[in-house]
Amino acid sequence: MVKKVPEGGYKDIFNCCPATILVMDIDAPYYTILDVNEAYLNATNSTRSELMGKPVFGAFPANPTDEVSRNIERTIFSFEQAIQTKKPHTMANYRYDIPIRGTDEFEERWWTTTNTPILDEKGEVIYFIHSPENVTELYKLGEREKAGVEALKNQRKQLYSTFMQAPVGIAIFKGPEYRVELINTPLCELYGQTVEEMSGKPVFEVLTHAKGLGFEELLDDVRLTGRAFKGQGLPAPMFRNGKVETVYLDFVYEPYKEDDGTISGVIVIATEVSEQVHAKQLLQEAEERARLAVDAVGLGTFDLNLLTGEMITSRQFANIFGFDEPVPSDEYIKVFHPDDLKLRARAHNEAPASGAMFYEARVIWPDKSTRWVKVEGKVYYDAGGKAVRILGTLLDITEQKKAKEALAESEQLLRNITSAAPASLWMSDDEGLITYINQTWVDWTGRPFEDHMGIKWVDSIIEEDREKAAEKFKKDTLNRDPYEAEFRIDHIDGTKHWCVATGRPQLRTDGTFLGYIGACVDITEQKHMQQQKDDFIGIASHELKTPVTSIKAYTQVLERMLLKKGEAREAAMIGKMDAQLNRLTNLIGDLLDVTKINSGKLQFNDQDFDFNLHLDELLEDLQRTTTKHIIIKKFSPTGIVYGDKERIGQVVTNLITNAIKYSPNADKIIVCTALENDEATLCVQDYGIGIPKANLDRVFEQFYRVSGEMQHTFPGLGLGLYISSEIIKREGGRIWVNSEQGKGSTFCFALPLKNVNNN
Amino acid sequence: MPKPMDKMKRIMIADDDPAILDAVGIILEFEGYEVRSTLNGAHLLKMETDFPDLLLLDIWMSGADGRDICKQLKQQPATSKIPIVMISASKDIERSAIEAGADDFLEKPFDIDALLEKIERHMRKAG
Repeated sequence: MVKKVPEGGYKDIFNCCPATILVMDIDAPYYTILDVNEAYLNATNSTRSELMGKPVFGAFPANPTDEVSRNIERTIFSFEQAIQTKKPHTMANYRYDIPIRGTDEFEERWWTTTNTPILDEKGEVIYFIHSPENVTELYKLGEREKAGVEALKNQRKQLYSTFMQAPVGIAIFKGPEYRVELINTPLCELYGQTVEEMSGKPVFEVLTHAKGLGFEELLDDVRLTGRAFKGQGLPAPMFRNGKVETVYLDFVYEPYKEDDGTISGVIVIATEVSEQVHAKQLLQEAEERARLAVDAVGLGTFDLNLLTGEMITSRQFANIFGFDEPVPSDEYIKVFHPDDLKLRARAHNEAPASGAMFYEARVIWPDKSTRWVKVEGKVYYDAGGKAVRILGTLLDITEQKKAKEALAESEQLLRNITSAAPASLWMSDDEGLITYINQTWVDWTGRPFEDHMGIKWVDSIIEEDREKAAEKFKKDTLNRDPYEAEFRIDHIDGTKHWCVATGRPQLRTDGTFLGYIGACVDITEQKHMQQQKDDFIGIASHELKTPVTSIKAYTQVLERMLLKKGEAREAAMIGKMDAQLNRLTNLIGDLLDVTKINSGKLQFNDQDFDFNLHLDELLEDLQRTTTKHIIIKKFSPTGIVYGDKERIGQVVTNLITNAIKYSPNADKIIVCTALENDEATLCVQDYGIGIPKANLDRVFEQFYRVSGEMQHTFPGLGLGLYISSEIIKREGGRIWVNSEQGKGSTFCFALPLKNVNNN
Repeated sequence: MPKPMDKMKRIMIADDDPAILDAVGIILEFEGYEVRSTLNGAHLLKMETDFPDLLLLDIWMSGADGRDICKQLKQQPATSKIPIVMISASKDIERSAIEAGADDFLEKPFDIDALLEKIERHMRKAG
């Protein structure tokens, strides 16, 4: 133990001190090294002898870098500062590499050096201490730290850039009010705002329409618990195109943590999935509709895996097979009708090759009832073309089958009925081609069904009648008129049979023409009867005429005898009797005429005659038959008419006797003739009872008579006007009437002047 | 009217109805003609002498067609000049009657005046 540092002890301290010390003279520019301690020698890899008494920059030459050169300058500056100011001067963190002894290499070193002047008693600097501290490790640590911070900075920058450019919306909401710390453009676009409108503001202050919908609670939960929230396809109101719309979002709320781990906000990452959601909704709707449709028509569906044999079936499928719930495919096969199993197997076997499957089969329900099912399927193949799957449908067609059977039965019934019908039935299409005839027609003609299709049916008509019947049918088809024609056919019995064919035009609901449905009736018997009737009336009329002729002869001779005897009163009575005989004769004549008209045997002896002249004679005779009426002639020139003078006269007589008969309270009848458009016309006007409008068209019909209360007051068979109209028609003319009930009638006819028709 | 002084003109009537023969006969006799009649038309063809001045011939007679008789009479030189007026209940026959050679036609029933007019006309023609 020593009480104080012994003499020379400071030398030991100097040498043992861990601080590096180099003592230098102030002899600038040499700065001769005066002393050096062990620590310095160690730090600089030097020996005492290498340094002692040497100028310092000789001992430590400049490093080959500018840096070092500058370091020498800085060192000299520090030396000078310390010497001049007489105060220690520190040079911080400079690089001064030290040579590796024995090599040309240098070792990098960083230093912080203090140059401390030592003063004498007078306060003058006599030498100074140069004490460098090796701070290489410290410096390098600092540098590393600096580089680390820089790297972090770059990383942050990159992150921010990524963040801002991300295609998804990202934002950081800070604090309990969720102030927008950061937000990128996609999220702003999603929100329908700009970055400026959002930045720095509490988010719900900007997006007011999203307030109170539960988003705040979600954010709070994330911020307070640190648990992230993921929302998928959630609806959110957004301000778009000037109005609030519902959009669908996928989003994540992540807690935003500070460096110390505290949660200061929420990171929001969001993308809009409205389109996907809509597409999905549409798909779901479409699926739903398809399902509803399948359900609605009672379709069962199946998905058969051809590789495993496994079959997935719908509930409806199971129901159609009589099961409550879907069962394995084996169970379905068991309930097939045994007779249909083969058919089913064949359909399944052939499906992979054809690509489709179709069959109808029977299944037997638990209650033993038989149901018909229709199976339709489509085959699906893998990439290698191997059939892997059949998807298809199943339909219960029991009712259809029943309906079809019923239809077939009713068709058969209809066929039987039509075959049994005494009439032949036929159908034609809109072009007038025959599409159907019944068995009756086949039986009549003895020609097979096909021989009547199209236009071939006319071949059964005898040649004489064929063209007329065919033309009429063509014309009626064109005009969609009801068809009616009479013709004769070559009957299988070898004779000709009369037929009357009628057809009713068939129209679709939209009014378009479908063709005809018609019948053809064998009227041979009627024709025969008609002939017999006509013959009978003809003969009867003839036979009636014979006694009338003799009665008339007796009457006339009697009249003459009485007149000769001067018995005028009796003669007058006989004269009246003769007039009645004339009426009887006329009635018989009418009957005969009608039978002739009906049988087409009314004969005409046409010749040229002066119409007015002939009328003059007629009217003279007719005037004699009435004392009450005056026949007033109003004739215009008419020229020569070609026709049957007597038949035309018959018409005139009929019209005038009618005029007399039906105007009992009038006293005149006006007869006009005229020539108009190459026609000679005649009108007979009376001032009688007239004809009701409703009957005007019917007066020329056979057997038409005055109807109503006056029916019995006017005698007649109702044949006169019918015969008249037939005569005028046969002569190529026209006949018509104008009338007003209670005021009178005007009957007219017109005849062509140059008639070359020689009926 | 025939003149009473003249030799009575003779008219033959052929009809299968006796009433016609009777009635027409009365008329014609009343009018001053000598009338003969027959119910059988075929008898007419057997006439060899004593021919009538005019023949009233019914067309439809039982067993004979007046037109055939007419044709034959008109073909025989002895009878070809005799005027024949054919009578029928059917006016439609008129043409065929004329074709058969008849000089005239009268439809039954007829007016006496019409009958007489025709008879006189044809007799005058025949001279």
